[in-house]
Amino acid sequence: MNILVVAEMQLGKLKPSNRASIRMAQDLAKKDGDSFSMVLLGHQLGDAANELNRFGAKKLFVIDAPEFEHYLAKPLTDAVSNLAREHGFDRIVGCEATTARDFFPRLAGALDAGMCRGVSALCEVNGETCYQRAVFSGMALRTERIHTPIHVMTVDPTTMDDPTEGGAGEVVAFDAGVTVGDEIRFVELRRAKSERPDLSVADRVVGAGRGIKSAEYLETIGALADKLGAAVGATRAVVDAGWLPNEFQVGQTGKAIAPKLYFAIGISGAVQHAAGIRGAKTIVAINKDAEAPIFKIADIGIVADLFDVVPQLIEGL
Amino acid sequence: MKVLVTVKPVADPNTPPAAWIAEQEGKGGSVNDVANYFDLIAVEQAIRLKDIGVTDICIVSVTDDSKMAQVRSAIAMGANRATLIDPEGKQLGAYQLAASIAHVVKKEEPAFVLMGKQATDDDASQVGPLLAGMLGWPQATFVSEIGFNDDRSRVTVGRETDEGVEVLDVKLPAIITCDLRLNEPRYATLPNLIKSKKAPMERLKFTDLGIEDKPRVTVEAYSLPPGRSGKAKMVADTAELLTTLKDMKLVD
Repeated sequence: MNILVVAEMQLGKLKPSNRASIRMAQDLAKKDGDSFSMVLLGHQLGDAANELNRFGAKKLFVIDAPEFEHYLAKPLTDAVSNLAREHGFDRIVGCEATTARDFFPRLAGALDAGMCRGVSALCEVNGETCYQRAVFSGMALRTERIHTPIHVMTVDPTTMDDPTEGGAGEVVAFDAGVTVGDEIRFVELRRAKSERPDLSVADRVVGAGRGIKSAEYLETIGALADKLGAAVGATRAVVDAGWLPNEFQVGQTGKAIAPKLYFAIGISGAVQHAAGIRGAKTIVAINKDAEAPIFKIADIGIVADLFDVVPQLIEGL
Repeated sequence: MKVLVTVKPVADPNTPPAAWIAEQEGKGGSVNDVANYFDLIAVEQAIRLKDIGVTDICIVSVTDDSKMAQVRSAIAMGANRATLIDPEGKQLGAYQLAASIAHVVKKEEPAFVLMGKQATDDDASQVGPLLAGMLGWPQATFVSEIGFNDDRSRVTVGRETDEGVEVLDVKLPAIITCDLRLNEPRYATLPNLIKSKKAPMERLKFTDLGIEDKPRVTVEAYSLPPGRSGKAKMVADTAELLTTLKDMKLVD
């Protein structure tokens, strides 16, 4: 096996979900006593390569070119497939983010490879390494086996442990030799301004549901999040109401998250939302309805008016 | 302007997971099929673009006759016709599905293809980008906004990404996959459902398309995700909540 982790940048920093891909590569390498390599793509990478190069990779390929300043599927596909062909990589591992989810299937096609999206665990079936992933909106797990010589996968960061630290690999600048045509042009990124941690990978998340009653109350929710150093998330109802932008949605049709601590505030706990927080280590539910289904999946619960509890929490933390 | 829209019949997302797994494993159980919701968003978008130049909407579906109702409901929303590819009982993976759709695209030469961002059963979201790669077309996935430029040779799309809405300017023809908030799909009315039975329907067979049918990925097993304890420790007030959180070393 010749394993390659595709590491990506996000807003000038390493994407946090790269860590899950590195761990998956370490686990795959351990199975067969192999090593793994990484590639980092972007532009004006600064210190990112050094920061990434401490997990025991054999080589770290760096592709630093203006073509990769903004994420675009085709140049990334071309660059990674060129690298994989030139160096004979047959396991390509990426993160389960909206970037890799977009270009990895195209990459799999370019390499005539089978692909598994959002792998949550490795397992063995008849001595063959297989990949487990969530299907049916996160409500079922499926074990899949890839039959092509090259395996392509994205990794679910909510189920992976942290990668183990290791030595630095040889840094190799790779000329991807790709050009960006005019068929697709980056215009802008419209971003909700937030200084808070990235919701997808935050250790602590404060989730708001319809029970908060108005967009105005999100200020108080935000104050609690800031006290905790947490990200803010929301149910579909809150996002549908236009109180928060789409990227804040947690659940079946939004993000699946696995923080160490999740506060479910004014959240009933419908299947739609529950599917997105199943991986959370500890769920704290604050709801005045004792019958709310959230209490069936919570670890700590309080039946009380959130408009009393939240300010008291901010005060007491 | 001609547009292809892909529609996949899938199990009703409200099916209990255990029943769905039983059906997948061929252990019986009755599971209702619906058209994949993200595909209906794609159909709706094609219909809305009729005001600004779309004249011919063709539904493409890889499905057999048993799931015709789901295809018809999509046609009845306002599509003109359909092309069906019968898998002839084969379990087709993302590669075979993309290659089947690519066959229709090459023949029809549409201005663009609209698809759902993923199917709610396999949750793979692979077919769109795979198809774009096969055709050498640009792709815009997870799209929640779409508009033509003046001469209709390009579209401007907003994509839902982890970082926010990414705006791209895309040359046609292209593959566009639709996210949840692009629109609210309309319901097909009864008269339109009846009319949809007369819509022209081309039928192809997968084995006639010359596509490699060796699966690249196979399903080996299903299971239910581990449940949560279901036994919440209930606390009486905020003070006790704070003490509990501190005792469990969850907060400082």
